Amino acid sequence: MLKSIKIVLHICLLYILFQVGNWIEQTFHLFIPGSVIGMIILFILLLIKVINISWIEEGATFMIKHLTFFFIPVTVGIMSYLDLFRGNGIVLVLITIASTLLVMLSAGHVSQWMITRKEAKHD
Amino acid sequence: MINILIGIISIIGTLLIYVLSIRLHKKFNYPFTLPILVATIILVIVLLTFDISYNTYMLGGDWVSELLGPAVVALAYPLYKERFLLKKLIMPIVCGTIAGGFVGVSTGVLLTKWAGFDSEIIFTISSKSVTTPVSMAITESLGGITPLAAVFVMIAGISGSVLSTYLFKYTGLKHYLGKGIALGSASHAIGTATALESSELEGSISSIAMILSAMLISIIAPGLVSILL
Repeated sequence: MLKSIKIVLHICLLYILFQVGNWIEQTFHLFIPGSVIGMIILFILLLIKVINISWIEEGATFMIKHLTFFFIPVTVGIMSYLDLFRGNGIVLVLITIASTLLVMLSAGHVSQWMITRKEAKHD
Repeated sequence: MINILIGIISIIGTLLIYVLSIRLHKKFNYPFTLPILVATIILVIVLLTFDISYNTYMLGGDWVSELLGPAVVALAYPLYKERFLLKKLIMPIVCGTIAGGFVGVSTGVLLTKWAGFDSEIIFTISSKSVTTPVSMAITESLGGITPLAAVFVMIAGISGSVLSTYLFKYTGLKHYLGKGIALGSASHAIGTATALESSELEGSISSIAMILSAMLISIIAPGLVSILL
């Protein structure tokens, strides 16, 4: 029971940081979403020890473990665009998938090549 | 009152389908049983079968989406825990993300152009690799179709997560660093959720790649698109 109260309190703190991020985004008309700004703020506050890790630990672990759950309503939004999967639109779906694979291939291999070279040097 | 009731039912429904898809993924551990894919498909089928509109479902769904904000904030926690190791890895992370960013925008733009689509569609597809709000903002500033941008982002997120297992296996992408960067820069937060299933470290790397890639693409997309068009 104590643990679930902790989780709820931790999530409240994370939610406040999210709202601070939203406020910064809107006030300064930034490109970066409020949630990402909130994440950067939390990271900085952890670094300079304004927020103790024990204030968010259980809540953060819980939310990260179930990250997929929070995405579901957004991805279900695809139902309004099912026409895209018929006719000409399917080409766009395939292009998106192909381009996504190429991003993974290039980003992944460039960094893997760099790290393995670096690791080899150190050995 | 009735709206609250509908909301509660859709939250419980989403939760049940989520739990079911997690169980299914544990039992049949294939890339195509990835919970985000299975849960989305089941929910769409349920809603279509009972003729429930997306707006009605979102009476509850909005509550769940609202928590996506703090969930993204929570990613600072693994980032903080792995900070010393991540500091050493910053160069490959930055270079990998830059490579991915350029490849993502240019292949999206060129393939769509060669397939003969209008510039509106080309603008929309250019930022599909980044997280939804950023992609929508970029699309809007370029003059694309904003709601469609969100759909491309979702397709990039889900397809990247599902197909990553095969891609990693057949192209010899073995290092946790390469995998994390690949998932974060191609499939944003959905990819990060997938990377977190492998390890906390891979997830942290993926979240850094996701942020860097969002910043990079919002800067390079307008210029790159006008060069390639």
